[in-house]
Amino acid sequence: MMSLTADSPVHSSSSDDFAAFLDAELDSASDVSPELDEVENGEAEGEEEVEDEGNDTGDGDDDDDDGSIDSSRSKKRKIELIEAAVDPQSSVSRGEPAETSGASLALDVCTHPGVMGGMCIRCGQKVEDESGVAFGYIHKNLRLADDEVARLRDKDLKNLLRHKKLILVLDLDHTLLNSTRLADISAEESYLKDQREVLPDALRNNLFKLDWIHMMTKLRPFVHTFLKEASSLFEMYIYTMGERPYALEMASLLDPGGIYFHSRVIAQSDSTRRHQKGLDVVLGQESAVLILDDTEVVWGKHRENLILMDRYHFFTSSCRQFGLKCKSLTEQKSDENEAEGALASVLGVLQRIHRLFFDPERGDNIMERDVRQVLKTVRKEVLKGCKIVFTGVIPIQCQPENHHYWKLAEKLGATFSTEVDESVTHVVSMNDKTEKSRQALREKKFLVHPRWIEAANYLWRKPPEENFPVSS
Amino acid sequence: MFFHIVLERNMQLHPRHFGRDLREKLVSKLMKDVEGTCSGRHGFIVAITGIESVGKGLIRDGTGFVTFPVKYQCVVFRPFKGEILEAVVTMVNKMGFFAEAGPVQIFVSNHLIPDDMEFQSGDVPNYTTSDGSVKIQKESEVRLKIIGTRVDATEIFCIGTIKDDFLGVISDPGTNA
Repeated sequence: MMSLTADSPVHSSSSDDFAAFLDAELDSASDVSPELDEVENGEAEGEEEVEDEGNDTGDGDDDDDDGSIDSSRSKKRKIELIEAAVDPQSSVSRGEPAETSGASLALDVCTHPGVMGGMCIRCGQKVEDESGVAFGYIHKNLRLADDEVARLRDKDLKNLLRHKKLILVLDLDHTLLNSTRLADISAEESYLKDQREVLPDALRNNLFKLDWIHMMTKLRPFVHTFLKEASSLFEMYIYTMGERPYALEMASLLDPGGIYFHSRVIAQSDSTRRHQKGLDVVLGQESAVLILDDTEVVWGKHRENLILMDRYHFFTSSCRQFGLKCKSLTEQKSDENEAEGALASVLGVLQRIHRLFFDPERGDNIMERDVRQVLKTVRKEVLKGCKIVFTGVIPIQCQPENHHYWKLAEKLGATFSTEVDESVTHVVSMNDKTEKSRQALREKKFLVHPRWIEAANYLWRKPPEENFPVSS
Repeated sequence: MFFHIVLERNMQLHPRHFGRDLREKLVSKLMKDVEGTCSGRHGFIVAITGIESVGKGLIRDGTGFVTFPVKYQCVVFRPFKGEILEAVVTMVNKMGFFAEAGPVQIFVSNHLIPDDMEFQSGDVPNYTTSDGSVKIQKESEVRLKIIGTRVDATEIFCIGTIKDDFLGVISDPGTNA
C-alpha cells in the first residue's frame, strides 16, 4: 500500500509556470467572459480536493469542454493524472472564443452519426451516448448510429457494384482451416510436431505451430487459390466465434500480405448478440452479402445469405469435439483433395453466382438485385430433374413437407412423389427392406441413403449415387 | 504543440538503492515512470531533458522506502482543439482514415473529408478526387485540424478534419522522393 501512496502525484508549483506560459501565448487575443471566470473559481476549489480523483479527472480537459465546468465535473473519464493538480489550462479556451461558439453551433445541427473515443466523429463534441452499434473491429471505441450505418452501406453498395464486387463473409474454423490446441494432439498425430522436416511440402507449408498461443493450425487445401480468386469478385470479411487475438493470428496466416482482409476481421466480442453472428456489424448491404460457414444455427436471421460448408476436420481433437468416430485425416495421413475439395467446389458456385448477378443480359436495376435470390436459383439447379420418393426416412406422424430432408431436397430443386412411378428417379431410404426400396431395385431406380441429399448440398452437384448405398 | 516545462513528482525509492548511485537510480526510475505517459493537462511526456532539483527525502514509516520530490525538465506534446497538425496516414477504410502525429492518434471521418473525395476499396484502400489528382492512402502525409481531443493514461486520441482551406494531402507516398 505504501508504494501506491508514495508515488502519488504532488502539487507542482512548476505547473503554474506552464499555465503562465500558456496565458502569455494564448491570452493576448482573448476577451474573458464571466463564464470563464467561473471556471477559474471552479479550479480554485478543485485545488483543495486534489486527492479526490472522481471529482477532478474531468478537469484535465476543461478546455475541450468549452469551459463548462458543470459538464466537465460530471464526467468521469479514464485519465491517469500523473500530476493530479488541477488544470490551469482552461485559460486555453479563452484563446479561442470563436471556436467555442462555433462548436456549440455545430452541436445544434450535428446528429452525431458516430462516436469514437467518446467524441462525435463529425463535430468533435464529447458524446456520452451509448446507443448505436459498436464496431470494435474497426476501432476499439467506435460506435455508429443506425442512420450512419445505413448511409455507409448504401454508399458502399454503389461503390462495390461499380467495381463489380459483392461481399463475402468467411468463417475460420472448419471452413478455411482447422486448429487444435497443442495439448490435444494425440500420440498418433505427434509426427506433425516431431518430424516436421520429413512432411511433404504441401502439408508442411500449410501447417503452422503457433507456440505463443499454444495452437497448431492447418489451412484447408486450396485455400490460397480460393482467397486469391474470390478476392477479385468479393470484398472479404473474416467472421469467427473465436477470440480476437486468435482471429488476427489466423488472418495473418491466410493473408500474410494483408491484402484480402485489411481491418475486416470480426471476432466473437464484436457480435451484438451472444453466440450469434449477425450481419449488423458488417458494413455492407445484406442484399449483396454471401456467407461461408460450417455452422447454420449461429446465422439466425441470415440463413438466406449462407452457403453451408462441409466441415474440415484435420486433427483428431476436432473430430472428437463433434462426436465423430471415424479416423481423422491426420491419423490416415491424408488430406482433403485439393482440386475436388469443398473450397474448390464452392469457389465454382461463388463464381457462378457472381456471373449471374452481374449478367449484362439482365434488364433490371442493378441496385435492386438481391444475391439471395441468385443463390436460391443456383441452389435449385443442384438436384434439378430429380424426382424423389422417401421411404423409411420420414416418421409417420411427421408432416413430410416439414421434414429436414424434404426441405433440403426442395431447396436443391428436387421434386417429390409418394409412389414409385415412371417419372421417379431416386428412392431415398434408410433400409432396403421396405416395399418401395425393393420396388426401386426392381425398376432400376437409384436407391440412395439420405446422406446423398446432404452431400449434394455441400458439393453443389449431384453426387455419385453408388457412394451412398442403403444398408440392410 | 510542444512545450518545454518543469514538472515535479514524488519518487519513492527502495532502500537497497541508497548508495553512491542514488541519484542515478532516481533519474532512471523517473524516466521509466513518466516518459511515454500522458496526462490530460500536459499531454504526452516525450522526453526528460534535465533534473532541476531533488528535494529532501522523507522516510516512510514502517517500510524504509524514501520519497524524494523531484523537479525535472521535460518536453511535452499536447494537441489542442483548433490546432493544425501534420500527420501520417496509418489506415484507410470506408469510415474515414486514421493518422498519427507522433504518439497522437487522429481519426478523420468521411464526413470531414472533402465531398469530392471518394472512397476506393482494393488492395490499397484510398480516398481519391474524381479527377484522380489527389489521393489519400496509407503512408500519405496530411495536414489536418484537430476538432476534439481525448486523453487516456497512455494515449491521446483526436478527431480531426481536412474539410477546410489549406488542409489535406501534403505528400503522397508514391510521388515523394
